[in-house]
Amino acid sequence: MENKDFEFKTLPVEAQEETITEKDFKLVDNSERVHEQKFQTRPTTFFRDSLKRFSKNKSSVVAAGILGTILLLSVFVPIFTGGKNNDNSKEYAYRTFLEPKLFDAGTGFWDGTKKWTKIAVDVGGHPNATTEEEKQEFWWPSPDDFVKQAVSKKEFTETVYTSDRNEYAHGGYVQFGISGEANETKVEMFTTTYKELDIDSGDIYLKAFDVYDLDKLKAADGEKAFFPENYVQGEVSFVFNYYVEVDGEAEKKSVELLAKNSKFDISSLNLTEIIKADEYVTTNNISVFKNAYFSLELEKGDDEKHNKCVLIKTLEFETENALKDLIEGSNFDDANELMFRQTQNKDLTVNTKYWSCTGNKKLHMAQVIYCDFVYDSYEATFGEMEINQEKYPVTESHMKTYQRNKWCTFSYNFEVDDDGKFYVSDFKFERKSEKCPVTEITKITINDEAEIKIYGKVIYYRYFEFDSMPRYLMGTDKGGRDMFKYVFEGLRTSLLLGIISFAVCFIIGLIYGSISGYFGGTVDLVMERITDVLSGLPWIVVMTLTILHLGQNFFTFGLAICLTGWISTAARTRTQFYRFRGREYVLASRSLGASDARLIAKHILPNAMGTIITSSVLMIPSVIFSEATISYLGLGLKGMSSLGVILSDNQTQLTIHPYLLIFPAVVIALLMISFNLFGNGLRDAVNPSLKGEEQ
Amino acid sequence: MLKYSLKRILLAFITAFIIITLTFFLVKSLPGGKIFAPQENTRLAFYFDQVEKGYVIDCMVESPQYGTLLEKITDLDNVDHYFYQTPILDQYFAWLKRIVTAWDWGTSTVIKPNYSTTTIIMERLPVSVSINIISVLISVPLGILLGIVAGLNKNTWIDHTISTLVMIFISIPSFVIISFMIYFFAFKGNLPLRWPSSDAATSQKFLGYIIPVLSLSFGSICGYCRSVRAELCEVMSSEYLILARTKGLTRRQAITRHALRNAFVPILPSVLAEFIGVFSGSMILENLYNINGIGDLYIYALNNKDYNVLFVDMAIFTTISLLAGIVTDLSYGFIDPRIRMGEKK
Repeated sequence: MENKDFEFKTLPVEAQEETITEKDFKLVDNSERVHEQKFQTRPTTFFRDSLKRFSKNKSSVVAAGILGTILLLSVFVPIFTGGKNNDNSKEYAYRTFLEPKLFDAGTGFWDGTKKWTKIAVDVGGHPNATTEEEKQEFWWPSPDDFVKQAVSKKEFTETVYTSDRNEYAHGGYVQFGISGEANETKVEMFTTTYKELDIDSGDIYLKAFDVYDLDKLKAADGEKAFFPENYVQGEVSFVFNYYVEVDGEAEKKSVELLAKNSKFDISSLNLTEIIKADEYVTTNNISVFKNAYFSLELEKGDDEKHNKCVLIKTLEFETENALKDLIEGSNFDDANELMFRQTQNKDLTVNTKYWSCTGNKKLHMAQVIYCDFVYDSYEATFGEMEINQEKYPVTESHMKTYQRNKWCTFSYNFEVDDDGKFYVSDFKFERKSEKCPVTEITKITINDEAEIKIYGKVIYYRYFEFDSMPRYLMGTDKGGRDMFKYVFEGLRTSLLLGIISFAVCFIIGLIYGSISGYFGGTVDLVMERITDVLSGLPWIVVMTLTILHLGQNFFTFGLAICLTGWISTAARTRTQFYRFRGREYVLASRSLGASDARLIAKHILPNAMGTIITSSVLMIPSVIFSEATISYLGLGLKGMSSLGVILSDNQTQLTIHPYLLIFPAVVIALLMISFNLFGNGLRDAVNPSLKGEEQ
Repeated sequence: MLKYSLKRILLAFITAFIIITLTFFLVKSLPGGKIFAPQENTRLAFYFDQVEKGYVIDCMVESPQYGTLLEKITDLDNVDHYFYQTPILDQYFAWLKRIVTAWDWGTSTVIKPNYSTTTIIMERLPVSVSINIISVLISVPLGILLGIVAGLNKNTWIDHTISTLVMIFISIPSFVIISFMIYFFAFKGNLPLRWPSSDAATSQKFLGYIIPVLSLSFGSICGYCRSVRAELCEVMSSEYLILARTKGLTRRQAITRHALRNAFVPILPSVLAEFIGVFSGSMILENLYNINGIGDLYIYALNNKDYNVLFVDMAIFTTISLLAGIVTDLSYGFIDPRIRMGEKK
């Protein structure tokens, strides 16, 4: 913008020639003495100046805020979340793996519920399961939990044709095939044993079988041709005949196998020849076929004939009676029964080992009920439920306590019957306060030792002495520990380790670097070689060896980090000393007789300190990082929680309970990010000449 | 230059020697770090072998002056053998002699009893190297490219986005990233949950590379991006570049002819060092993804107390880090003859 008060004009030539006399000059100040003026601006300190620069860096300020919050949380969370029910050195078996909960249940997000989709369930319960363990083994999630605690569920059924492991399917039939690709020869197939092998009683082992296309078999040569290439699953199930040699006479036998629900309506099957068998032994009593290929003829309803080849992995049988057993044992309507239920019941002839096989088992035409449901783990743990007699029963002493607190009145009478046994004749229960855990008593039984069992309903959070339904912000882990407290306890340990080792390393590095940098020459050379050797050691090697020698405790960790951690500070200090030691003020001081120690401590160090401290402070996050890594390798702190220990402990839970990893991971990531941003900002502010370098 | 290089190499060699010696003594003096004999039937042979190599003393009677008894074995001729460890210093010289004469770095005791440790390392090295090489080949160009993009678009949204992502990925510990990658890509997705075995299908083997390579690449992409950006920013504001522009070069010419070349001076040595580094394995990745590389071997040997294997693994990691250091320093000199790293000022 132009200044209108002032216009620049070219003077005429005559005017320029005008001479200037002494009178034209005027003295500005006529006073006798001229004094120095005081600075009008306010003086600023180095610290204040840095702070001003720092506050201009928005991201660093935000990072500092986050960092401060995390630090405060790590100090105060473990203090304020204490209490008798939240001591992380104990384990709480009743509340393992609770989902994180911040909002009320039903909000849909962070509300302590977990959505399960397409979970195969059988609400009818396992027919043979008698104990709780057996139910747990086969029914997951446990049907009790599911039925009671599901917030919402959606049911749909589906007919499964190919399913490798479906523990809840009913009906249909099982088919066994070689796994995967046609050229894969390592096939260990389905193993069905009928009781234990007991030669005397005449049992049969049928190990595995498969169906192959006979045409393919004949067409190709070599072993690989035996394996089907376009073998259509779900089409074939069969009955086959074979011959048993008894007393020199071959007798034709038929075995019917799982053919009930087959699409293939097989009317007859004839074994035509034994194509190949690795081992084939027939004596008077015993016939054994191993890896034998049988050719057989399949007949469809409309007189269509197919040639098929059957591979028998091992077929051993002894007597004619045994054959009968085989047939009986094989005719299962419920394929599921055959595949997955392992029973030790001697009356059932089948002993099926699902887990021992690596082959390919397919379930066909079976029906499965799937459910989508939302499961509220808090209700299942702390809600009002039937009294769990096995794990958390309400005993007489519980009731006495409740009475003493005047929450309820309770009394019962027992008598002796004619057989000399106790029985409870009548009982009285009245709930007087909302605080009373027991809400209803339906029945009381008594045993010979006069111990009573109370049946009824109980509010479990009151039973476990909580005032209200607890909320775990970050859920609980396998020991029932409150992750919210546990994570911040771990963070506190990690931070403490970081800060203490930073302080130690900083002091050592400062002293070492000052001596090396100040004196220079031979001293410097020798000292530099020492740091060369030490810095050549990978930190992981140093940490491993130290921890192996001295044990997995806090002190050792600190020591392991400090062994090589001081080197970077020493290097920085040395560089700074090289920079300042030749300055004039140092020379001046020295010529006035200052000692080396004074020069180092009073003159050079204060000047160098800002740069050194700000670039060394980034060591804290790297220590936390190293600690987490070494914990992950299995050498973590023992008896203390740190972020690394928490993360590595919960690593195995990732697939089922990802929140156990998400929360500590978020905390450590947040810590690292904010520490790095804050550190960079600090360095830029203290040492503006380094701005832009991001190292 | 030659003299300088030779001096550097000699120094590094001495350093490596000192470090390995130190490590040897530390490993040998570990609690429980004595020689563990492998299976029952091969023990005598194992001890005789160790006696021959000079690590164990075979005494006819009990001799407490040698410290704790390793084992007493009565052979077929009913002669008692009392086996003791030789003093660590003697073991050290015996070990040095074995290395120089037979390139024998010791035998494994737990992982593969009676196998030479070098064989075990050589078996496991190719897997680690293959993963590392692919990851380097991906991450170096990508990292540099991202760095250039960010550096040339300084203080624009592109730069901010890249820088923020880099900051985030550099700050999250690798094991967290790997865990979640396995969770999302393998557990929820279709990639293999663990490193495919040697007899797996080719397609599975190929897919098995994705998670390890990606997780190794993240860190180094971020590292390169960051340093390239910083270098480029510095060069872009330098005076010779302004001079080049005033002399009439276009922005493109100035960048390709002057800025990039100078910005790469510190980058290229680290790229070379990265190629040296392919011989070491990432412990966490290999452990989490069940890769049988030498990083996993380290943890495996550590947990099973096979200290001979552990020691050789440590020696490899040390040598590689030293080697990478030399390559970095020497290549500085080759790329920019004005620079002599580590030389006296």
